[in-house]
Amino acid sequence: MTARVLRRVAIFVVSVLVASIVVFLFMAVLPGDPAQVALGVNATPELLAKTRTEFGIDRPLVTQYFDWIGGVLHGDFGRSYVTREAIGSQLLDRLGVTLWLVGAGMLVALVIAVPAGTFAAVKHRKASGASVSGLSQIGVAIPAFLAGIILVQIFAVQLRWLPSGGWTPPDQDFGEFVRGLILPALSLGLVQGAVLTRYVRSAVLDTLGQDYLRTARSKGLRPGQALVRHGLRNASVPVVTVLGLQLATLLIGAVVVERVFVLPGLGSMLLDAVGSRDLLTVQGIVLVLVVGVLLVNFVVDVLYTVLDPRLRGS
Amino acid sequence: MRNLVIGGVLVGSVVVAALLSFAWTPFDPVKVDATHRLLGFTGSHWFGTDKFGRDLLSQLMVGARTTLYVGVVAVGIAAVIGTPLGILAGMSPRWLGEFVMRVNDLVLAFPALLLAIMFGAVFGADTLTAMVAIGIATIPSFARIARSGTLQVMSTEFVLAARAGGRSRLNIAARHVLPNISGLLIVQASVSFAIAVLAEAALSFLGFGTRPPTPSWGRMLQESQELLTVQPRLALVPGIAIAVAVLGFNLLGDGLRDRLDPRLAARV
Amino acid sequence: MKARIPVVAAALLLVVSGCSAGSSASVSAGPDTLSVGFTAEPANFDFTRTDGTAIPQALLYNVYEGLVKLDAQGRIVPLLAQSWTISPDRRTYDFRLRQGVKFSNGAPFTAEDVKFSLLRVKKDWTISIKSTMDVVDHVDVVAPDHARVVLSKPSNGWLFSLTSRLGAMFSPAGVADLANKPIGTGPYVVAARKRGDSVVLKANPAYWGRKPAYSTVVLKYIKDPTALNNALFSNGIDVISAITAPDAIPQFQADDRFQVVQGTTNSEVTLAMNNARPPLNDVRVRQALTSAIDRKALLDTAWAGRGTLIGSMVPPTDPWYEDLSNVHPFDPAHAKALLSEAGVTNLNLRLRIPNLPYAVSAAQVVQSQLADVGVRTTIEPLDFPAVWLKQVFTDHDYDLSIIQHVEARDITTFGKPKYYWGYDSKRVQQLLAEADSGTPEQQVADMKQVARQLNTDAAADWLFLFPNVIVAKTKVGGFAANQVSESFDLTGLAPR
Repeated sequence: MTARVLRRVAIFVVSVLVASIVVFLFMAVLPGDPAQVALGVNATPELLAKTRTEFGIDRPLVTQYFDWIGGVLHGDFGRSYVTREAIGSQLLDRLGVTLWLVGAGMLVALVIAVPAGTFAAVKHRKASGASVSGLSQIGVAIPAFLAGIILVQIFAVQLRWLPSGGWTPPDQDFGEFVRGLILPALSLGLVQGAVLTRYVRSAVLDTLGQDYLRTARSKGLRPGQALVRHGLRNASVPVVTVLGLQLATLLIGAVVVERVFVLPGLGSMLLDAVGSRDLLTVQGIVLVLVVGVLLVNFVVDVLYTVLDPRLRGS
Repeated sequence: MRNLVIGGVLVGSVVVAALLSFAWTPFDPVKVDATHRLLGFTGSHWFGTDKFGRDLLSQLMVGARTTLYVGVVAVGIAAVIGTPLGILAGMSPRWLGEFVMRVNDLVLAFPALLLAIMFGAVFGADTLTAMVAIGIATIPSFARIARSGTLQVMSTEFVLAARAGGRSRLNIAARHVLPNISGLLIVQASVSFAIAVLAEAALSFLGFGTRPPTPSWGRMLQESQELLTVQPRLALVPGIAIAVAVLGFNLLGDGLRDRLDPRLAARV
Repeated sequence: MKARIPVVAAALLLVVSGCSAGSSASVSAGPDTLSVGFTAEPANFDFTRTDGTAIPQALLYNVYEGLVKLDAQGRIVPLLAQSWTISPDRRTYDFRLRQGVKFSNGAPFTAEDVKFSLLRVKKDWTISIKSTMDVVDHVDVVAPDHARVVLSKPSNGWLFSLTSRLGAMFSPAGVADLANKPIGTGPYVVAARKRGDSVVLKANPAYWGRKPAYSTVVLKYIKDPTALNNALFSNGIDVISAITAPDAIPQFQADDRFQVVQGTTNSEVTLAMNNARPPLNDVRVRQALTSAIDRKALLDTAWAGRGTLIGSMVPPTDPWYEDLSNVHPFDPAHAKALLSEAGVTNLNLRLRIPNLPYAVSAAQVVQSQLADVGVRTTIEPLDFPAVWLKQVFTDHDYDLSIIQHVEARDITTFGKPKYYWGYDSKRVQQLLAEADSGTPEQQVADMKQVARQLNTDAAADWLFLFPNVIVAKTKVGGFAANQVSESFDLTGLAPR
């Protein structure tokens, strides 16, 4: 098994490197001159040239790449062309916000999906189970930002129970932090919950028919006990895989939700940077996002191995 | 069976609306009419008008075109590139298959929205870049399904016999693999279509999708935002349309899965 | 649940960063704290090197002050200069400075600082409007409270420019880090900033004038117009500095908790026509397009009827304003006639606009109305500022464009043949030069003629004057209805 894990690590590292090259090359192709944008309209050619040197964009691409990636490995993402501030620290801040959002959304999704999916599976031949299943179908069809818009209207604008947006760090005012996170997490989580419900349902249905469950029942365990002790553990395998896949979708949903709720996360940072042709920042953000997804997939892969004893032997 | 019917009806109505819009719409969806702004549900304007005085139903119908167009092209790209890749990976020696799958995972790491934003920044954001970006981001799903299906088919007796009989790879791929995995692919197509619709809506909402004034459900949603409290109808109409399309394709996929693969149906 | 581990682990790994994310710009609400919402966030605090209105909006008159400022009616009034005299040949300005003024770093404000600040413009500023300071020949420090500025030729525009960011007074010890640490003489200082969120201003204890009523002001940056509106509703902010989703205004008017203040700005929403490119170089074609557009309907649909119709590049707050909005009335038949007279058929123009709400809305109306007279247009939204600035503004690669021109007195741009208008009229250039160097009365007369000439030549089509709409809680008072400078002036605000 160690060999398998080590192979996974090697693949992860290579993927990250390739991704960084792809990202870098893509940015090199973007039209729009960062020096022009930073200096504004009437900048003289001499000043433009000087600024280009200051930004380091007049050097050969290979040099620029290695310089950049070398810095990144030390946590130095360079200085933004537009704000002249270090990208790295801002990236970290914003990443924190996005992670809280995604994490809370995931939590909401799981809290909804695990009981609902299990219920729908266990009662799949009854009306109650079918209606839960039906609801989840509809839930999947609603875009996260639509859910967000509706929630804001009801809970923030009309009822004024919760803020319509903005971000308070948890160490500053935990109460406000939670209040500000509820609606965005719900917007993400409700939709993701619907998606996950369906996977949980089908995974539980699968295991319900499995042999080891019947064995457990024949040993005298009640259906509930059998389900929890054996069924859920095995049902969690495909769910874990799906979570990995869903993380990519969750990140997308997060970008849009950040816009609706004005959260200073990675998504809004990316959109701003693209709009102002802040190439170095875009590069940094895209790299972080892509590596993040690769990382989660890697962790899921390894966990998959751990969870499913049948795979350990290979 | 029920899923298939409901899904078919929902998808069908979207297709019909789109096709009909080529021949006729109640009003011109892009013509600005200052005297008929923000009308509610009336006799002549069934879904009312927006702030430019444009008829919502007409916009909905033409928007259906965009929605289907994006779905078809995105899924088309993904299927045409992803399927051969997946089959190749499934039929090749293990190391090659693994390599292709790793590259696949790499592409998967670039979520559709991210690619669309990046493409939009380079090539200018419009429907075409959005479609291509979503298509590229969907390739990995098709490749994966194609590969796992191929692996299963390769171990069946027919194929073993064919290989023993000296048939070429291409021949086996065409005659045995493709027909047998087509069911899986159709299901995947349906699911991916639904995702493509959602992605286009999100992109138009962010301003990276269809350019004005071409009607697009996602952009209709975005334009509805500032008037949400006074005219929620402006958001509900495109929102429900999007939900109907996505729901339809998902149900269709589910129903097709049940029909085409009896083994799966027994579980559900 | 095992399934949750990967996600929770990933989140926990960086929970430290999340915890510390943004711990700096925290402000607790209080009776003397005001929270104002804006859409465009300043990239940094240095408006001498960074274009755009976001920075002076926050800092001008609030953190930085000049010798003079503009009052709510657009008149030049004293600020750091208590009074001034102009020599008969209109080239020498003697400024008597206010006593007891200190910079926020403790340094006293003297005529030396006036000299330093004015001469610095030529040397160290990089933004385009710095050229207005080129007319300064030299600055004399006559006494610590008396500065004399001698111009190489008379210029009315020069004194006016002192009310803008160009006239901001800097201290030699305070320019080391303008991008992050602005040091001015104003009633506020920048206390903190959190990118993507807010800037916090606190009252300057060393301020020479009346202490502001709000000792802490939080400038909150919310890009999305609807989110900005929602923030006021849900008590996240107290004031919306400028509404950008005007259709939502009735909600505020119907609510007792809020007040709506509307006035004018200097921003002309202009349909630019590339005068240098055929067939738009033909004045008949431009006049035809102008006649094809129903500006009243456009204003009603695109901007909920809020705004002022203008006929030239002049807002009502300028001394030479005349209402020229009806000179080219809406007349599609006349437009078609002009087009066929010019021999133009099957016109297909590129309408390349910035990707901003007002431009996208207006463009759709323009497209529809032009289609009615047989002119086809393609709308191309471009990223703003990056792409629009390069392709339309610098490279002049466009047929039509729609953009707000926010600077005061930017009618003078029509005197520059190389400006993206592509408009080259010797008469206008002559009139502008005379207006600048003449007496104030001559200036008014000449500028009126310039405005009329632009209107006759249809150098552009002025769709409407962007309104200044402030929405605030009823308990906040002191708002100026008209926005006459780049500043969002906080100094007059007080609780009611």
